[in-house]
Amino acid sequence: MNVIDLQNVETIYEGESIPVIHNINLTVKTGEFLAIIGPNGAGKTTLLETINGILPYTAGQGFVFEKEIPIYKTAIRKEIGYVIQNFEMDPLAPFLSKDIVMSGRAGKIGMFRFASKEDWEIVWYSIGLVGMIDFAHRPIGKLSGGEFQKILLARALAQKPKLLLLDEPFSNLDFSTRRQIEKLLNRIHEKQQMTIVIVSHDLSFIPSRCSRVIVLDRGKIIMDGKKEKILTSTMIDNIFHKKGVNQ
Amino acid sequence: MIDIPLALLFTSILGAVLAGFVCSTMGVFVVRMNLSSIGYCMSHAAFAGAAFGLMISVDSLISAMVFSFGVAFVLGPLSEKARLESNVVIGFLFSVMIALAFIFLNFIPGQAASGAALRILWGSIFSVGYNDLMFLLLLSFALIFFIALFYKELLAVMFHRKLAESAGVNTKLFYFAVLFFTGFSVSLSLRLVGGLLVFALIINPTSTAYQFFYDFKKIMIFSPVIGIVSCLIGFWLSLVTDFPIGASIVIVSAVLFAFAIIISPKRRKGKGKQRKMGFKLVT
Ligand SMILES: Nc1ncnc2c1ncn2[C@@H]1O[C@H](COP(=O)(O)OP(=O)(O)OP(=O)(O)O)[C@@H](O)[C@H]1O
Ligand SMILES: [Mg+2]
Repeated sequence: MNVIDLQNVETIYEGESIPVIHNINLTVKTGEFLAIIGPNGAGKTTLLETINGILPYTAGQGFVFEKEIPIYKTAIRKEIGYVIQNFEMDPLAPFLSKDIVMSGRAGKIGMFRFASKEDWEIVWYSIGLVGMIDFAHRPIGKLSGGEFQKILLARALAQKPKLLLLDEPFSNLDFSTRRQIEKLLNRIHEKQQMTIVIVSHDLSFIPSRCSRVIVLDRGKIIMDGKKEKILTSTMIDNIFHKKGVNQ
Repeated sequence: MIDIPLALLFTSILGAVLAGFVCSTMGVFVVRMNLSSIGYCMSHAAFAGAAFGLMISVDSLISAMVFSFGVAFVLGPLSEKARLESNVVIGFLFSVMIALAFIFLNFIPGQAASGAALRILWGSIFSVGYNDLMFLLLLSFALIFFIALFYKELLAVMFHRKLAESAGVNTKLFYFAVLFFTGFSVSLSLRLVGGLLVFALIINPTSTAYQFFYDFKKIMIFSPVIGIVSCLIGFWLSLVTDFPIGASIVIVSAVLFAFAIIISPKRRKGKGKQRKMGFKLVT
Protein backbone atom coordinates (compact mmCIF):
# COMPACT_ATOMS: atom_id res chain seq x y z
CA MET A 1 0.00 0.00 0.00
CA ASN A 2 1.13 3.54 -0.61
CA VAL A 3 1.22 5.46 2.61
CA ILE A 4 2.03 8.70 0.82
CA ASP A 5 1.40 9.42 -2.82
CA LEU A 6 1.94 12.93 -4.10
CA GLN A 7 1.51 13.72 -7.78
CA ASN A 8 2.78 17.03 -9.13
CA VAL A 9 1.93 18.72 -5.88
CA GLU A 10 2.52 22.40 -5.39
CA THR A 11 1.93 24.45 -2.25
CA ILE A 12 1.54 28.21 -2.04
CA TYR A 13 1.17 29.93 1.32
CA GLU A 14 -1.91 32.02 1.71
CA GLY A 15 -1.35 35.56 0.54
CA GLU A 16 1.76 34.60 -1.44
CA SER A 17 2.05 34.02 -5.13
CA ILE A 18 5.19 31.93 -5.52
CA PRO A 19 4.93 28.23 -4.65
CA VAL A 20 7.22 27.12 -1.86
CA ILE A 21 7.25 23.53 -3.09
CA HIS A 22 6.37 22.53 -6.63
CA ASN A 23 6.30 19.54 -8.93
CA ILE A 24 6.56 17.20 -6.00
CA ASN A 25 6.21 13.55 -6.94
CA LEU A 26 6.67 11.25 -4.03
CA THR A 27 5.54 7.74 -3.27
CA VAL A 28 6.19 6.13 0.09
CA LYS A 29 5.25 2.53 0.80
CA THR A 30 4.15 1.01 4.09
CA GLY A 31 7.06 0.46 6.42
CA GLU A 32 9.51 2.72 4.63
CA PHE A 33 11.85 4.85 6.67
CA LEU A 34 12.97 7.90 4.78
CA ALA A 35 14.81 11.09 5.45
CA ILE A 36 14.20 14.43 3.82
CA ILE A 37 17.24 16.66 3.79
CA GLY A 38 17.87 20.08 2.39
CA PRO A 39 19.12 23.52 3.36
CA ASN A 40 17.12 26.07 5.38
CA GLY A 41 14.12 27.33 3.52
CA ALA A 42 14.13 24.43 1.06
CA GLY A 43 10.52 23.63 1.92
CA LYS A 44 10.94 20.58 4.16
CA THR A 45 8.46 21.72 6.79
CA THR A 46 6.08 22.84 4.06
CA LEU A 47 6.26 19.38 2.50
CA LEU A 48 5.45 17.66 5.80
CA GLU A 49 2.51 19.96 6.45
CA THR A 50 1.23 19.40 2.95
CA ILE A 51 1.28 15.67 3.63
CA ASN A 52 -0.89 15.94 6.74
CA GLY A 53 -3.08 18.55 5.13
CA ILE A 54 -2.30 21.42 7.49
CA LEU A 55 -1.34 23.34 4.36
CA PRO A 56 -3.68 22.78 1.42
CA TYR A 57 -1.86 22.07 -1.82
CA THR A 58 -2.66 24.33 -4.72
CA ALA A 59 -2.01 22.03 -7.65
CA GLY A 60 -1.66 18.32 -8.32
CA GLN A 61 -3.10 15.55 -6.21
CA GLY A 62 -2.11 14.00 -2.92
CA PHE A 63 -3.11 10.83 -1.13
CA VAL A 64 -2.29 9.48 2.29
CA PHE A 65 -3.30 5.91 3.10
CA GLU A 66 -4.79 6.04 -0.41
CA LYS A 67 -7.28 8.68 0.62
CA GLU A 68 -7.34 12.10 -0.94
CA ILE A 69 -5.78 14.50 1.56
CA PRO A 70 -8.10 17.54 1.37
CA ILE A 71 -11.24 15.43 1.67
CA TYR A 72 -10.19 13.02 4.39
CA LYS A 73 -7.69 15.16 6.26
CA THR A 74 -9.28 14.80 9.70
CA ALA A 75 -9.46 11.02 9.43
CA ILE A 76 -5.95 10.80 8.01
CA ARG A 77 -4.46 12.92 10.76
CA LYS A 78 -5.63 10.58 13.47
CA GLU A 79 -3.17 8.07 12.04
CA ILE A 80 -0.31 10.52 11.56
CA GLY A 81 1.98 11.45 14.42
CA TYR A 82 3.60 14.81 13.84
CA VAL A 83 6.53 16.22 15.75
CA ILE A 84 6.72 19.88 14.93
CA GLN A 85 9.98 21.75 14.48
CA ASN A 86 11.17 23.66 17.57
CA PHE A 87 8.97 26.33 18.85
CA GLU A 88 9.16 28.59 21.85
CA MET A 89 7.07 27.44 24.75
CA ASP A 90 5.81 30.02 27.20
CA PRO A 91 7.65 29.14 30.44
CA LEU A 92 4.47 29.79 32.42
CA ALA A 93 2.33 27.55 30.22
CA PRO A 94 -0.18 25.82 32.47
CA PHE A 95 0.18 22.24 31.26
CA LEU A 96 1.77 19.17 32.75
CA SER A 97 3.91 17.05 30.47
CA LYS A 98 1.72 13.96 30.81
CA ASP A 99 -1.34 15.96 29.77
CA ILE A 100 0.51 17.14 26.67
CA VAL A 101 1.35 13.56 25.78
CA MET A 102 -2.31 12.68 26.25
CA SER A 103 -3.34 15.57 24.03
CA GLY A 104 -1.83 13.63 21.13
CA ARG A 105 -4.65 11.15 21.51
CA ALA A 106 -7.40 13.77 21.54
CA GLY A 107 -8.37 13.29 17.92
CA LYS A 108 -7.97 9.55 17.95
CA ILE A 109 -10.18 9.01 20.99
CA GLY A 110 -12.81 11.03 19.20
CA MET A 111 -15.42 13.59 20.11
CA PHE A 112 -17.86 12.90 22.94
CA ARG A 113 -15.51 10.32 24.42
CA PHE A 114 -13.29 10.44 27.43
CA ALA A 115 -9.75 9.18 27.89
CA SER A 116 -9.98 5.64 29.23
CA LYS A 117 -7.61 3.68 31.39
CA GLU A 118 -6.09 2.13 28.28
CA ASP A 119 -5.49 5.56 26.83
CA TRP A 120 -3.53 6.50 29.92
CA GLU A 121 -1.60 3.23 29.73
CA ILE A 122 -0.57 4.06 26.18
CA VAL A 123 0.42 7.55 27.31
CA TRP A 124 2.59 6.23 30.13
CA TYR A 125 4.12 3.66 27.84
CA SER A 126 5.10 6.36 25.34
CA ILE A 127 6.54 8.53 28.07
CA GLY A 128 8.55 5.52 29.16
CA LEU A 129 9.80 4.91 25.63
CA VAL A 130 11.44 8.33 25.47
CA GLY A 131 12.72 7.99 29.03
CA MET A 132 10.74 10.86 30.51
CA ILE A 133 8.80 9.14 33.30
CA ASP A 134 10.47 11.30 35.93
CA PHE A 135 9.36 14.43 34.12
CA ALA A 136 5.77 13.46 33.49
CA HIS A 137 4.39 15.68 36.24
CA ARG A 138 6.59 18.65 35.41
CA PRO A 139 5.06 21.74 33.83
CA ILE A 140 5.78 21.71 30.12
CA GLY A 141 7.28 25.22 30.12
CA LYS A 142 9.93 24.19 32.63
CA LEU A 143 11.49 21.50 30.50
CA SER A 144 14.76 22.02 28.68
CA GLY A 145 14.66 22.13 24.89
CA GLY A 146 15.69 18.50 24.59
CA GLU A 147 13.29 17.28 27.26
CA PHE A 148 10.51 19.17 25.55
CA GLN A 149 11.37 17.56 22.24
CA LYS A 150 11.20 14.13 23.83
CA ILE A 151 7.78 14.90 25.26
CA LEU A 152 6.62 15.98 21.80
CA LEU A 153 7.90 12.71 20.40
CA ALA A 154 6.09 10.79 23.14
CA ARG A 155 2.98 12.77 22.25
CA ALA A 156 3.21 11.65 18.64
CA LEU A 157 3.92 8.03 19.63
CA ALA A 158 0.96 8.01 22.02
CA GLN A 159 -1.18 8.45 18.97
CA LYS A 160 -0.07 4.98 17.84
CA PRO A 161 0.27 6.37 14.34
CA LYS A 162 0.73 4.45 11.14
CA LEU A 163 2.84 7.29 9.81
CA LEU A 164 5.28 9.35 11.81
CA LEU A 165 6.39 12.76 10.52
CA LEU A 166 9.36 14.14 12.40
CA ASP A 167 10.57 17.66 11.72
CA GLU A 168 14.16 17.91 12.96
CA PRO A 169 13.53 15.89 16.10
CA PHE A 170 17.21 15.89 17.02
CA SER A 171 17.88 19.60 16.91
CA ASN A 172 17.98 20.10 20.68
CA LEU A 173 19.34 16.75 21.73
CA ASP A 174 22.86 16.11 22.98
CA PHE A 175 24.95 13.37 21.46
CA SER A 176 23.95 10.52 23.75
CA THR A 177 20.27 11.44 23.74
CA ARG A 178 20.30 11.57 19.96
CA ARG A 179 21.74 8.09 19.87
CA GLN A 180 19.11 6.93 22.29
CA ILE A 181 16.23 8.41 20.25
CA GLU A 182 17.74 7.07 17.04
CA LYS A 183 17.78 3.62 18.60
CA LEU A 184 14.19 4.10 19.69
CA LEU A 185 13.13 5.04 16.16
CA ASN A 186 14.97 2.06 14.75
CA ARG A 187 13.25 -0.19 17.22
CA ILE A 188 9.79 1.21 16.56
CA HIS A 189 10.35 0.89 12.86
CA GLU A 190 11.50 -2.68 13.15
CA LYS A 191 8.83 -3.87 15.54
CA GLN A 192 5.75 -2.00 14.42
CA GLN A 193 6.29 -1.57 10.72
CA MET A 194 5.61 2.09 11.19
CA THR A 195 6.28 4.34 8.22
CA ILE A 196 8.63 7.10 9.30
CA VAL A 197 9.57 10.34 7.55
CA ILE A 198 12.28 12.31 9.24
CA VAL A 199 13.44 15.80 8.29
CA SER A 200 16.98 16.68 9.10
CA HIS A 201 19.62 19.04 7.93
CA ASP A 202 22.35 17.20 9.64
CA LEU A 203 23.55 14.57 7.20
CA SER A 204 25.47 12.64 9.81
CA PHE A 205 22.39 11.93 11.86
CA ILE A 206 20.17 9.76 9.83
CA PRO A 207 19.09 6.67 11.79
CA SER A 208 20.62 3.44 10.55
CA ARG A 209 17.37 1.78 9.52
CA CYS A 210 16.50 4.72 7.31
CA SER A 211 17.23 3.47 3.83
CA ARG A 212 15.97 6.18 1.52
CA VAL A 213 16.94 9.82 1.33
CA ILE A 214 15.23 12.64 -0.48
CA VAL A 215 17.02 15.87 -1.16
CA LEU A 216 14.91 18.98 -1.35
CA ASP A 217 16.30 22.23 -2.64
CA ARG A 218 14.38 25.40 -3.37
CA GLY A 219 11.07 23.59 -3.29
CA LYS A 220 11.99 20.75 -5.59
CA ILE A 221 12.98 17.17 -5.06
CA ILE A 222 16.36 17.02 -6.72
CA MET A 223 17.41 13.58 -5.58
CA ASP A 224 15.62 10.52 -4.34
CA GLY A 225 17.28 7.20 -3.73
CA LYS A 226 19.22 4.85 -1.51
CA LYS A 227 20.87 6.46 1.45
CA GLU A 228 24.40 5.27 0.65
CA LYS A 229 24.26 6.59 -2.86
CA ILE A 230 22.84 9.97 -1.99
CA LEU A 231 25.16 10.66 0.88
CA THR A 232 28.23 9.98 -1.21
CA SER A 233 27.05 11.96 -4.21
CA THR A 234 28.97 15.12 -5.01
CA MET A 235 25.83 17.12 -5.58
CA ILE A 236 25.05 16.97 -1.89
CA ASP A 237 28.33 18.64 -1.14
CA ASN A 238 27.49 21.39 -3.56
CA ILE A 239 24.06 22.12 -2.16
CA PHE A 240 25.09 22.15 1.42
CA HIS A 241 28.37 23.93 1.07
CA LYS A 242 27.16 26.54 -1.32
CA LYS A 243 24.66 27.64 1.28
CA GLY A 244 26.97 27.18 4.20
CA VAL A 245 24.79 24.75 6.10
CA ASN A 246 25.97 21.61 7.82
CA GLN A 247 29.18 22.96 9.26
CA MET B 1 -25.05 51.32 53.64
CA ILE B 2 -28.24 51.23 51.61
CA ASP B 3 -31.31 49.29 52.65
CA ILE B 4 -32.31 46.75 50.06
CA PRO B 5 -35.26 44.36 50.05
CA LEU B 6 -34.15 40.82 50.74
CA ALA B 7 -35.47 39.41 47.45
CA LEU B 8 -33.53 41.96 45.45
CA LEU B 9 -30.44 41.32 47.52
CA PHE B 10 -30.72 37.62 46.80
CA THR B 11 -31.23 38.14 43.07
CA SER B 12 -28.31 40.45 42.77
CA ILE B 13 -25.95 38.29 44.80
CA LEU B 14 -26.85 35.31 42.67
CA GLY B 15 -26.38 37.45 39.57
CA ALA B 16 -22.94 38.52 40.76
CA VAL B 17 -21.91 34.93 41.45
CA LEU B 18 -23.08 33.71 38.05
CA ALA B 19 -21.55 36.62 36.15
CA GLY B 20 -18.29 36.01 37.96
CA PHE B 21 -18.48 32.36 37.07
CA VAL B 22 -19.19 32.66 33.35
CA CYS B 23 -16.78 35.52 32.69
CA SER B 24 -13.80 34.14 34.53
CA THR B 25 -14.36 30.66 33.11
CA MET B 26 -14.27 32.03 29.58
CA GLY B 27 -11.23 34.04 30.60
CA VAL B 28 -9.17 30.85 30.85
CA PHE B 29 -9.70 30.24 27.14
CA VAL B 30 -9.57 33.84 26.03
CA VAL B 31 -6.21 34.42 27.70
CA ARG B 32 -4.59 31.18 26.61
CA MET B 33 -5.85 31.32 23.02
CA ASN B 34 -4.71 34.93 22.59
CA LEU B 35 -8.22 36.14 22.04
CA SER B 36 -7.83 39.10 24.37
CA SER B 37 -8.09 41.78 21.73
CA ILE B 38 -11.00 40.17 19.95
CA GLY B 39 -12.75 39.54 23.28
CA TYR B 40 -12.12 43.14 24.24
CA CYS B 41 -13.69 44.25 21.00
CA MET B 42 -16.65 41.92 21.51
CA SER B 43 -17.36 43.24 24.97
CA HIS B 44 -17.36 46.81 23.73
CA ALA B 45 -19.61 45.81 20.89
CA ALA B 46 -21.96 44.34 23.47
CA PHE B 47 -21.82 47.69 25.24
CA ALA B 48 -22.70 49.55 22.04
CA GLY B 49 -25.43 47.00 21.40
CA ALA B 50 -26.93 47.50 24.84
CA ALA B 51 -26.94 51.26 24.28
CA PHE B 52 -28.58 50.74 20.92
CA GLY B 53 -31.24 48.56 22.55
CA LEU B 54 -32.03 51.29 25.06
CA MET B 55 -32.22 53.84 22.29
CA ILE B 56 -34.74 51.93 20.21
CA SER B 57 -36.46 50.41 23.26
CA VAL B 58 -35.54 46.79 22.59
CA ASP B 59 -34.32 44.45 25.32
CA SER B 60 -30.71 45.52 25.67
CA LEU B 61 -29.68 41.92 26.29
CA ILE B 62 -30.70 40.93 22.78
CA SER B 63 -29.14 43.90 21.08
CA ALA B 64 -25.92 43.39 23.07
CA MET B 65 -25.71 39.81 21.83
CA VAL B 66 -26.41 40.79 18.26
CA PHE B 67 -23.62 43.36 18.28
CA SER B 68 -21.16 41.14 20.04
CA PHE B 69 -21.77 38.17 17.75
CA GLY B 70 -21.60 40.52 14.78
CA VAL B 71 -18.09 41.49 15.79
CA ALA B 72 -17.14 37.86 16.42
CA PHE B 73 -18.47 37.04 13.00
CA VAL B 74 -16.27 39.65 11.32
CA LEU B 75 -13.16 39.30 13.47
CA GLY B 76 -13.25 35.57 14.13
CA PRO B 77 -12.23 34.43 10.66
CA LEU B 78 -9.81 37.33 10.30
CA SER B 79 -7.80 36.76 13.44
CA GLU B 80 -8.04 33.02 13.04
CA LYS B 81 -5.80 33.35 10.04
CA ALA B 82 -3.44 35.44 12.18
CA ARG B 83 -3.07 37.86 9.33
CA LEU B 84 -1.56 41.21 10.00
CA GLU B 85 -4.73 43.10 9.16
CA SER B 86 -6.66 41.61 12.05
CA ASN B 87 -4.95 43.91 14.56
CA VAL B 88 -5.75 46.93 12.48
CA VAL B 89 -9.35 45.83 12.10
CA ILE B 90 -9.63 45.19 15.83
CA GLY B 91 -8.39 48.68 16.63
CA PHE B 92 -10.74 50.14 14.10
CA LEU B 93 -13.80 48.21 15.29
CA PHE B 94 -13.03 48.89 18.92
CA SER B 95 -13.04 52.65 18.42
CA VAL B 96 -16.12 52.50 16.23
CA MET B 97 -17.98 50.53 18.89
CA ILE B 98 -17.13 52.98 21.65
CA ALA B 99 -18.12 55.92 19.45
CA LEU B 100 -21.39 54.24 18.53
CA ALA B 101 -22.11 53.42 22.17
CA PHE B 102 -21.79 57.08 23.17
CA ILE B 103 -23.91 58.25 20.26
CA PHE B 104 -26.64 55.74 21.14
CA LEU B 105 -26.47 56.69 24.81
CA ASN B 106 -27.00 60.28 23.84
CA PHE B 107 -30.21 59.44 22.07
CA ILE B 108 -31.83 57.28 24.71
CA PRO B 109 -35.36 58.65 24.95
CA GLY B 110 -37.31 59.67 28.00
CA GLN B 111 -36.76 60.77 31.55
CA ALA B 112 -34.83 57.78 32.76
CA ALA B 113 -32.24 58.39 30.10
CA SER B 114 -29.28 59.31 32.23
CA GLY B 115 -30.00 56.61 34.81
CA ALA B 116 -30.27 53.85 32.25
CA ALA B 117 -27.26 55.12 30.37
CA LEU B 118 -25.14 55.20 33.47
CA ARG B 119 -26.28 51.73 34.36
CA ILE B 120 -24.95 50.13 31.24
CA LEU B 121 -21.78 52.15 31.62
CA TRP B 122 -21.03 51.25 35.23
CA GLY B 123 -23.36 48.37 35.86
CA SER B 124 -25.95 48.18 38.60
CA ILE B 125 -27.36 45.57 40.92
CA PHE B 126 -30.83 46.92 40.23
CA SER B 127 -30.67 45.97 36.60
CA VAL B 128 -30.35 42.25 37.20
CA GLY B 129 -33.77 40.88 36.44
CA TYR B 130 -35.28 37.46 36.74
CA ASN B 131 -34.69 36.82 33.04
CA ASP B 132 -31.04 37.67 33.28
CA LEU B 133 -30.68 35.25 36.14
CA MET B 134 -32.34 32.47 34.19
CA PHE B 135 -30.12 33.08 31.18
CA LEU B 136 -27.00 33.28 33.31
CA LEU B 137 -27.94 30.03 34.99
CA LEU B 138 -28.53 28.35 31.65
CA LEU B 139 -25.26 29.65 30.30
CA SER B 140 -23.41 28.41 33.38
CA PHE B 141 -24.75 24.90 32.92
CA ALA B 142 -24.05 24.97 29.20
CA LEU B 143 -20.48 26.03 29.93
CA ILE B 144 -19.89 23.31 32.51
CA PHE B 145 -21.29 20.77 30.12
CA PHE B 146 -19.20 22.05 27.22
CA ILE B 147 -15.96 22.00 29.19
CA ALA B 148 -16.56 18.60 30.75
CA LEU B 149 -17.48 17.06 27.43
CA PHE B 150 -14.67 18.56 25.38
CA TYR B 151 -11.96 18.87 27.99
CA LYS B 152 -9.39 16.87 26.04
CA GLU B 153 -9.98 18.77 22.81
CA LEU B 154 -9.89 22.12 24.59
CA LEU B 155 -6.63 21.24 26.31
CA ALA B 156 -5.09 20.15 23.02
CA VAL B 157 -6.17 23.33 21.23
CA MET B 158 -4.99 25.50 24.06
CA PHE B 159 -1.55 23.93 24.14
CA HIS B 160 -0.83 24.34 20.45
CA ARG B 161 -3.41 24.83 17.81
CA LYS B 162 -1.47 23.41 14.89
CA LEU B 163 -0.47 20.30 16.82
CA ALA B 164 -4.07 19.77 17.89
CA GLU B 165 -5.18 20.13 14.29
CA SER B 166 -2.49 17.70 13.16
CA ALA B 167 -3.76 15.09 15.62
CA GLY B 168 -7.23 15.23 14.09
CA VAL B 169 -9.00 17.75 16.33
CA ASN B 170 -11.36 20.15 14.59
CA THR B 171 -9.78 23.25 16.07
CA LYS B 172 -11.93 25.68 14.14
CA LEU B 173 -15.04 24.36 15.86
CA PHE B 174 -13.57 24.98 19.30
CA TYR B 175 -12.21 28.36 18.36
CA PHE B 176 -15.64 29.56 17.32
CA ALA B 177 -17.31 27.86 20.27
CA VAL B 178 -15.08 29.86 22.59
CA LEU B 179 -15.95 33.10 20.78
CA PHE B 180 -19.61 32.21 20.94
CA PHE B 181 -19.57 31.56 24.68
CA THR B 182 -17.53 34.71 25.25
CA GLY B 183 -20.20 36.71 23.42
CA PHE B 184 -22.90 35.27 25.66
CA SER B 185 -20.89 35.82 28.81
CA VAL B 186 -20.14 39.48 28.18
CA SER B 187 -23.68 40.24 27.01
CA LEU B 188 -25.27 38.65 30.05
CA SER B 189 -22.87 40.15 32.57
CA LEU B 190 -22.99 43.59 31.03
CA ARG B 191 -25.93 44.94 32.98
CA LEU B 192 -24.38 43.95 36.27
CA VAL B 193 -20.76 44.91 35.71
CA GLY B 194 -21.14 47.59 33.06
CA GLY B 195 -20.05 47.76 29.47
CA LEU B 196 -16.70 49.40 30.02
CA LEU B 197 -15.58 47.00 32.70
CA VAL B 198 -17.01 43.63 31.83
CA PHE B 199 -13.89 42.57 30.01
CA ALA B 200 -11.82 43.05 33.16
CA LEU B 201 -13.91 40.32 34.75
CA ILE B 202 -12.82 38.01 31.96
CA ILE B 203 -9.14 38.79 32.21
CA ASN B 204 -8.32 39.54 35.87
CA PRO B 205 -9.41 36.37 37.70
CA THR B 206 -7.84 34.16 35.06
CA SER B 207 -4.60 36.08 35.14
CA THR B 208 -4.60 35.69 38.90
CA ALA B 209 -5.09 31.94 38.62
CA TYR B 210 -2.28 31.71 36.07
CA GLN B 211 0.11 33.11 38.67
CA PHE B 212 -0.27 30.07 40.87
CA PHE B 213 -0.83 26.94 38.88
CA TYR B 214 0.85 24.92 36.20
CA ASP B 215 -1.88 22.36 35.98
CA PHE B 216 -4.61 23.30 33.55
CA LYS B 217 -7.24 21.52 35.62
CA LYS B 218 -6.45 23.68 38.61
CA ILE B 219 -6.66 26.86 36.55
CA MET B 220 -9.99 25.68 35.22
CA ILE B 221 -11.23 25.39 38.81
CA PHE B 222 -9.58 28.36 40.47
CA SER B 223 -10.20 30.99 37.82
CA PRO B 224 -13.99 30.84 38.32
CA VAL B 225 -13.51 30.60 42.08
CA ILE B 226 -11.44 33.79 42.05
CA GLY B 227 -13.99 35.38 39.72
CA ILE B 228 -16.86 34.57 42.05
CA VAL B 229 -14.96 35.75 45.10
CA SER B 230 -14.12 39.03 43.33
CA CYS B 231 -17.76 39.54 42.51
CA LEU B 232 -18.94 38.82 46.04
CA ILE B 233 -16.36 41.05 47.71
CA GLY B 234 -17.01 43.70 45.06
CA PHE B 235 -20.71 43.47 45.75
CA TRP B 236 -20.18 43.96 49.45
CA LEU B 237 -17.77 46.83 48.82
CA SER B 238 -20.35 48.47 46.62
CA LEU B 239 -22.99 48.16 49.33
CA VAL B 240 -20.89 49.68 52.08
CA THR B 241 -19.18 52.40 50.05
CA ASP B 242 -21.85 53.14 47.48
CA PHE B 243 -19.31 52.62 44.68
CA PRO B 244 -20.82 51.48 41.39
CA ILE B 245 -20.94 47.70 41.50
CA GLY B 246 -18.96 47.13 38.29
CA ALA B 247 -16.17 49.38 39.43
CA SER B 248 -15.92 47.72 42.84
CA ILE B 249 -15.87 44.23 41.34
CA VAL B 250 -13.13 45.19 38.93
CA ILE B 251 -11.13 46.95 41.63
CA VAL B 252 -11.32 43.87 43.84
CA SER B 253 -10.27 41.56 41.02
CA ALA B 254 -7.43 43.91 40.10
CA VAL B 255 -6.23 44.05 43.71
CA LEU B 256 -6.30 40.26 43.87
CA PHE B 257 -4.26 40.13 40.68
CA ALA B 258 -1.69 42.63 41.95
CA PHE B 259 -1.43 40.66 45.16
CA ALA B 260 -1.00 37.44 43.17
CA ILE B 261 1.83 38.93 41.15
CA ILE B 262 3.63 39.85 44.35
CA ILE B 263 3.30 36.49 46.05
CA SER B 264 3.31 34.35 42.91
CA PRO B 265 5.62 31.37 43.19
CA LYS B 266 6.08 31.51 39.42
CA ARG B 267 7.68 34.92 39.62
CA ARG B 268 9.71 34.47 42.76
CA LYS B 269 13.33 35.47 42.37
CA GLY B 270 16.16 33.04 42.89
CA LYS B 271 16.44 30.21 40.46
CA GLY B 272 16.72 27.23 42.77
CA LYS B 273 13.84 28.32 44.89
CA GLN B 274 11.62 29.01 41.92
CA ARG B 275 12.09 25.53 40.54
CA LYS B 276 11.39 23.93 43.85
CA MET B 277 8.25 25.91 44.39
CA GLY B 278 6.89 25.17 40.96
CA PHE B 279 7.57 21.54 41.45
CA LYS B 280 5.93 21.46 44.83
CA LEU B 281 2.77 22.93 43.44
CA VAL B 282 2.19 20.16 41.00
CA THR B 283 3.06 17.17 43.15
N1 LIG C 1 3.67 31.05 6.70
C1 LIG C 1 4.44 31.31 5.62
N2 LIG C 1 4.05 32.25 4.72
C2 LIG C 1 4.81 32.51 3.65
N3 LIG C 1 5.97 31.90 3.37
C3 LIG C 1 6.40 30.95 4.23
C4 LIG C 1 5.67 30.62 5.40
N4 LIG C 1 6.34 29.66 6.05
C5 LIG C 1 7.45 29.41 5.33
N5 LIG C 1 7.49 30.18 4.22
C6 LIG C 1 8.55 30.18 3.22
O1 LIG C 1 8.62 28.92 2.61
C7 LIG C 1 9.96 28.53 2.39
C8 LIG C 1 10.17 27.14 2.93
O2 LIG C 1 9.94 27.14 4.31
P1 LIG C 1 10.05 25.82 5.16
O3 LIG C 1 9.71 26.19 6.56
O4 LIG C 1 9.26 24.76 4.53
O5 LIG C 1 11.60 25.50 5.04
P2 LIG C 1 12.43 24.34 5.74
O6 LIG C 1 13.05 23.54 4.67
O7 LIG C 1 11.62 23.63 6.72
O8 LIG C 1 13.57 25.19 6.45
P3 LIG C 1 14.29 24.95 7.87
O9 LIG C 1 15.44 24.04 7.63
O10 LIG C 1 14.79 26.33 8.20
O11 LIG C 1 13.30 24.45 8.81
C9 LIG C 1 10.83 29.59 3.03
O12 LIG C 1 11.40 30.36 2.00
C10 LIG C 1 9.89 30.41 3.85
O13 LIG C 1 10.23 31.76 3.79
MG1 LIG D 1 11.55 23.48 8.72
